[in-house]
Amino acid sequence: MDPLWINIFRKKLDDESLAYFLKHLPIFSELSPRALSTLENLVHVRNYEANETIFEEGDPGSGMYMIRSGSVQIYACDQSGAEDELARLIPGDFFGETTLTAPAPRSASARTMESTELVGLFRADILELAERKPSVSSSILLGLTRVVSERLQAASQEIRRLRIQAGERVSPGNIET
Amino acid sequence: MNNPVQKHRGWSRAQAAMAFLILSAAIACGLSVYSSVSSLIGISRTAFSVLFLPLLFSLVLAFLLDPIVTQLERLFTRTVSIFIVYVLTLGLATLLILWLVPHLQEFWGNMRTDFPRYTHQAIEGVKRSMAALHDRFPFIEDYSLPMKLRSWAEQLMAAILAQTPQSAMKIGGLMILVPLFTFFFLRDGRRIMSACVSLAPNRHFEMAHDLSYLVSRQLSQFVRGRVLEAIIVGLVVAGGLSLTDIRYAPMLGIFAGITNLIPYIGPIIGMIPGLLIAFADLGVGGQFWWIVILYVLIAQVLVDNFILIPILISRVSNLHPLLVFFAIIVGGKLYGVIGMIIGVPIVSVVKITLLEIRTYRRNFRLPEAALESDRPHKL
Repeated sequence: MDPLWINIFRKKLDDESLAYFLKHLPIFSELSPRALSTLENLVHVRNYEANETIFEEGDPGSGMYMIRSGSVQIYACDQSGAEDELARLIPGDFFGETTLTAPAPRSASARTMESTELVGLFRADILELAERKPSVSSSILLGLTRVVSERLQAASQEIRRLRIQAGERVSPGNIET
Repeated sequence: MNNPVQKHRGWSRAQAAMAFLILSAAIACGLSVYSSVSSLIGISRTAFSVLFLPLLFSLVLAFLLDPIVTQLERLFTRTVSIFIVYVLTLGLATLLILWLVPHLQEFWGNMRTDFPRYTHQAIEGVKRSMAALHDRFPFIEDYSLPMKLRSWAEQLMAAILAQTPQSAMKIGGLMILVPLFTFFFLRDGRRIMSACVSLAPNRHFEMAHDLSYLVSRQLSQFVRGRVLEAIIVGLVVAGGLSLTDIRYAPMLGIFAGITNLIPYIGPIIGMIPGLLIAFADLGVGGQFWWIVILYVLIAQVLVDNFILIPILISRVSNLHPLLVFFAIIVGGKLYGVIGMIIGVPIVSVVKITLLEIRTYRRNFRLPEAALESDRPHKL
């Protein structure tokens, strides 16, 4: 076959396509090709300059961001206003997924560190999709739940570990409250 | 105006000529910019006035049909779903028109002879009551109310007769444009909306996106609720009237339904022609009182206030009566009768949007403060 033709028909598998990027995120790794193409039309691609604020602590949170290129710094400010870096995220990482289903203020701030391309998925899109295509939205939400529960399990193990560590110093009754 | 040449005597003839040329060129430029801007404003005003009604009707229709299309979309693609809904709607509309056209013809044929009779009877009634009033309170000055009423009614009839062919043309245009616009609103509405929202700067994009969803959900509920309410009230009135011997029951039902879109005043205006015709044709008797009860108690109090409004219309869209009057007066001034009908819903839409933005901001203002205020309720 003429290589020219192959290129045209293989458009979908292009490494640079949005669907390819989404497919390789742990949240969406189990989506069918059809669900992926729906998702591709649902997300919002946004371009950020370096050092641009994505959101600040306390902002209304309504969705998650996935990093397609660039890097993002997650930080929190203490009482005196000093910044405390919580994480540095690179392409393929995502953040803000806890507010996708439950509306809540952002618990930390996010800022880009270089020029960055983010892919946003918001609660409004998911709610609207749930009416139009319930099966697709439930498979997206299932993936999200899987990732969130994995993180929750890791966090509760961490809490248990810290508790045991702290229990050596403080009496357990104090920690319960 | 002071001549610059005289002021600065040192200028040479060539300099003065140059200054004159530059000044006149500047004035000419200013004038041409001014005229082109004013013609641009004129063009946009014309475009707005031409497109306003079709766009409005298409938006309302899109809001109405969207839930059905969304349900069908679980089985078909969106475009196919829209086509299915269009075929169904077209069928229903054809049936409705087939049923309505004979009534409309009868109405139109009789109205030319009946309208003067009705107004004559009404004027007679007013004259009698005026005479009675004058007998009882002779000190009241004689006021020629019947004469005023007569000339007003004649003017109204002439206006209706003159404007009907014109509005028929308009309706013909609407019948082509509205389905076309509605199709694209239904198919690409989400894309158009998200394209508009994506213009927001990064920092505010998330909020704009969330708000656009919340506001459009509220609006579609409001529009759907209002239109359904009008349809049901119209059906109740038409059904109730067809139990009596009154003529034009379907027309009166449609009129009551449409005027029901205006709060407070609409229902009263809606019942005037029905009561007038009943009074003229049937006289004051059992049927007349049944019609009064139907309009006031059954359609308005029972069906609308007790059943439809609590179910369909959220309290958010309630407007202060004063605001309703303002909306009706301004709407009437801008777009005539149609403006009177759509003025109030448009003001409601603005109010819903503002309220939704306020609620959103309040919900997310300062997490600590929100937690503090929540705590006493939770305990």
